[in-house]
Amino acid sequence: MSDKVLCTHCHLEFNESVMIVDGEHYFCCSGCQGVFHLLSDEGLDTFYEKSNNVSLTPLTHQYDDSSNFNADAFYDKFVKTNSDGFKEVSLIIEGIHCSACVWLNEKALHKMDGVIEANINFTNNKATIVWADEVVKLSKIIDMIRSIGYNAFAYDASIQESHANRERKDYYLKMAVAIFASMNIMWIAVAQYAGYFSGITQDIKTILNIAEGILATPVLFYSGWVFFRGAYYGLKTKVVNMDLLVASGASLTYLYSIYITLLEDGEAYFDSVSMIITFVLIGKFLEVISKKNAADTLDVIGKHIPSEVNIVKNGSVISCKLDDVGVGDIVVVSSGEKVLLDGEIIKGAGSFDESNLTGESEPIFKSKGQNVISGTTSINADIHFRATKDFEHSTLSNLVTLLESAINKKPRIQQIANRLSEHFSSAILILSFLTFLFWLIFGNSFETSFMIGISVIIIACPCALALATPVATLVGLSLGAKRGILFKEAAQLETMAKVDTLVLDKTGTITVGKPEVIKEHIYEEFDKKLLYSLVKASNHPVASGIYEHLKKRDENLVDIIFDEFTQIPASGISAIYKKQEILGGNKKLINDNCIEIDFSSDNTLFYFAVNKKIVAIYELSDKIKDGAKELVDNLLKRGIQTIMLTGDNEHVAKKVANEVGITSYVYEQTPENKAEYINKLHQDSKRVVMVGDGVNDILALAYADIGIVMGSGSDIAVEVSDVVLLDDSLKSLQDAFKISRTTFGLIKQNFGISLVYNGVTIPLAMAGYVIPLVAAISMSVSSLLVVGNSMRIRWKWNKG
Amino acid sequence: MDNWVIAMMLGASIFLGAVALFAFLWAIKNGQFDDEEKFLNAAKFDGEDELNDAVNLEKRKEELKKSYRPE
Repeated sequence: MSDKVLCTHCHLEFNESVMIVDGEHYFCCSGCQGVFHLLSDEGLDTFYEKSNNVSLTPLTHQYDDSSNFNADAFYDKFVKTNSDGFKEVSLIIEGIHCSACVWLNEKALHKMDGVIEANINFTNNKATIVWADEVVKLSKIIDMIRSIGYNAFAYDASIQESHANRERKDYYLKMAVAIFASMNIMWIAVAQYAGYFSGITQDIKTILNIAEGILATPVLFYSGWVFFRGAYYGLKTKVVNMDLLVASGASLTYLYSIYITLLEDGEAYFDSVSMIITFVLIGKFLEVISKKNAADTLDVIGKHIPSEVNIVKNGSVISCKLDDVGVGDIVVVSSGEKVLLDGEIIKGAGSFDESNLTGESEPIFKSKGQNVISGTTSINADIHFRATKDFEHSTLSNLVTLLESAINKKPRIQQIANRLSEHFSSAILILSFLTFLFWLIFGNSFETSFMIGISVIIIACPCALALATPVATLVGLSLGAKRGILFKEAAQLETMAKVDTLVLDKTGTITVGKPEVIKEHIYEEFDKKLLYSLVKASNHPVASGIYEHLKKRDENLVDIIFDEFTQIPASGISAIYKKQEILGGNKKLINDNCIEIDFSSDNTLFYFAVNKKIVAIYELSDKIKDGAKELVDNLLKRGIQTIMLTGDNEHVAKKVANEVGITSYVYEQTPENKAEYINKLHQDSKRVVMVGDGVNDILALAYADIGIVMGSGSDIAVEVSDVVLLDDSLKSLQDAFKISRTTFGLIKQNFGISLVYNGVTIPLAMAGYVIPLVAAISMSVSSLLVVGNSMRIRWKWNKG
Repeated sequence: MDNWVIAMMLGASIFLGAVALFAFLWAIKNGQFDDEEKFLNAAKFDGEDELNDAVNLEKRKEELKKSYRPE
C-alpha cells in the first residue's frame, strides 16, 4: 500500500499516487493547488499557520457564472446604498471552519480595490460587505471569495433580524449604565448607613445625597426608559402592567429623595431607585436574550434549496431558474442531487432517499413511469423526468410555505408572571393612593400622608416579583444544559410544564433509526473478509448495519479488492473474487439467482451466498432505544398521554408500540398528516410536545407547543425545534419534563414568597410603621429570598 | 476634614469612572463585542499588518468619498 500524504491546502489525506506534486507540496486537486498559489502570491499563506492545519473542503465544485450578482433584480432585492453613497450587501459565507477562515476572507477582501469594509461574523457566518460600485462590481467580490475556496450567497437581512440585534445592543448599553451607577451608589450608601448608626453631620449627608442623585438620574431616565415606555403602551391599551409599577415607584421615590435632599432633613432613597431599575432591567434582559429568532430559522431553510435545476431543451442540457421550470419540462437529476420538482420518470432508474418525507432510511427504487417527489434525494439514480407541477405547487414548496406560517403562528401559553403582575400592580397603586387619602382625611399634613403613601410603593418593591421568573428559569436552563438538554427559550420551560400530550416519532426517536444485526445464522464457514469488503462498498443502511456488526466483532478485518463488483438496485450486491461468485442482498436477489432457501422472519433479512450457496443469513432490526418503556410508564403516572406517529406501515408500528407500551399510534403518516394530527390535538385543547428527528417531522415540530428534536437530527429540524436533546436519549427527554416541572414549581414558590412578604410588609407601611432603614433592608431581603430559593433547587438537583 | 475634600474626591472618582463607562459604551455601539468568538480570537491575529490594513481601509474610504462625491 502506498503512503498517505496530506493535501497542502485542504489537509485531507490521500494516497501519494493520486496527488498532484508541485515542488515540495502535494495537492488533491487542481482547485486546492490554485488556492494555495493564490494565497502565496498575495502573501496570505500565513493562513495555514493561523488555521492550525484544520481540514478544509477541497475545491471540486464548479460555480456558475457570478455575473448574475450584477443583475438589476439582484441589486434591487439585496443591495442597499448606505449614507456615504457606498453599496452594502449581506452575505452568508459557506465553508468557514475556524477563525483563520474569517481572517483570510476579510484580508482577501480588504486587499481588493474599492472594498471599504468587510466584516464576517464567525458565529453565524454572516458577512456585511461595503464597497464602491464604481470601482469594483459585486461579481468580482464574489469571485474573490470563491477563488479562495469559499462560497457566498446573498440573504435578505430582514428588518426583523436587525431589529432583534438592535434591541439587544440597546439593552447592553442600558445595563452598562445601570450597573455602573448602582455599584457606585452602593459604596456611597455604605457611608450613609455607617453614618446612620455612628452619627453623621447633615452637610456630609447632603453631599452624599447629591452624589447619589447625580448617579441615579441616568439610571432612571436612560436605563429605566423601557419601563416608562412599557407603562405608556400599557396604559394606552388599558392594561396596568409591571412596568407601570416599576416606573411610578422609581420616579416617585426619586422625586421624594430630591425633596429630602433639598430639605436637608430625613433619608433619601436614591439607592433604591437605581437598584429597582437595575434588577428589573436585568430580569427583562434575560427574557429578551432567550427569545428565539424566527428570521434566522427561515434563512437556514432557504439555504437548503438550490435555486437552479438542469433541464433538457432542444436536445441539450441547460441550467434554468427553479421558478422558470414549467409543467412538462424535462428535468435532469444525477446521483447525489436533490429532486426539487415533482414529476414522472421518463428515462433512467435508481434509488432515492425519501427519508425527508417518510422518515425511513431505506432507499426506494424507482424506474421509468414512476413518480419522483420533490424533497427527496437521488442516491445513485441518473434520470430524466417530466415535471408535473411547477415549483410553486410542488410538495417541497408546500412544505416550506406551511413551515413559514407555522413558525409565525406558534401557540403561546400566557405566562403566569404577566397575569399576576397585572393584578398585583393595580392593587399596589390603589392601596398606596388609599393610604395617602386615609392619612390625609384623618388630619395629618399633606407631607406626612404623601410620604407614607410612597413608602407603600417602595416597600412593595417589585424586585422580588420581577425576579421570580427569570431567576427560576435561569436555574432550569442551566440544569438542562448540564444534562445535554438545550431549551432555546426560557418561556418554554413554563409551557412544557403545562403539557398533557407527548407525540413521538418512531424512527430515530423511539428506535435508533439504523438497522442493527440481532441474529446471525451461519450455515457454512466462510472468509469474513469477503462479506466485510462487500458490505463496506455499499452505502445501503442494511449493509452498513452488517458492516458495523463485523467491525465490532473483529477490528483486524482488511479490505480485499474484487475482480468484479456490481450493485443491483433494490436487491443487493454481486461480486467476483478469485473465480468465486459472491452475492449479498435480499430475498429478491436470491430468487433472481435461482437459489432455493426456506427461511422467514419478521425482521429484515440479508442473505450472503458464495458460489450460489447460502452460507449465512443475518437478521436485522431497528433497535428500540433504552428507557423507552420507562419513559412511557413514567409520563403516564404524571398524567401525560403518549402517542406515536410514524411514516412506517401498520405492522412495524404495532410491533414497536406494543414493545414500548404505547396504546395509541398512527401509521403511514406524511409530514402534512403529522402536522394535521398535532392541529387536531390542539382543537381538542390538548397541549402537545412533539419529539422527532428528521425533516419529515419539522412541520409537526413547528406546530406543536413544544418541538423537541434529537441532537443528531437534521439541521432544519434542530433549527425549528424549541428544545434539543444533545445525547439523543429518551432519559434526557424524561429529564426535560422533570426539569420543566421543577422550574415551574419554583416560579410558583417564588411568587408565593414575594406575595407573602408583601402581605406582611405592606400593612406595616400603610400603618406608617416603616422606618427608613427597614424599607431599604426589606427591599434587598425579598430579592435575596427569591434568589436563595431558586439556588436551593439547583443544589438539591445537583446532589440528587 | 473639610467637606470640600469629600465632595472633590467623590466628584473626581465618579468622573474617572464615567470616562471608562463612556469608552465602554462607545465600544458596544461600535460593534466591537458583536461577535464574541471573533472578539476573543482577534487577539491571536492582531499585529502590525492588521493595524496597517485598518488605516489603509480608512484612507481608501476617504479617498473614494472625495473622488466620487465631491462636496
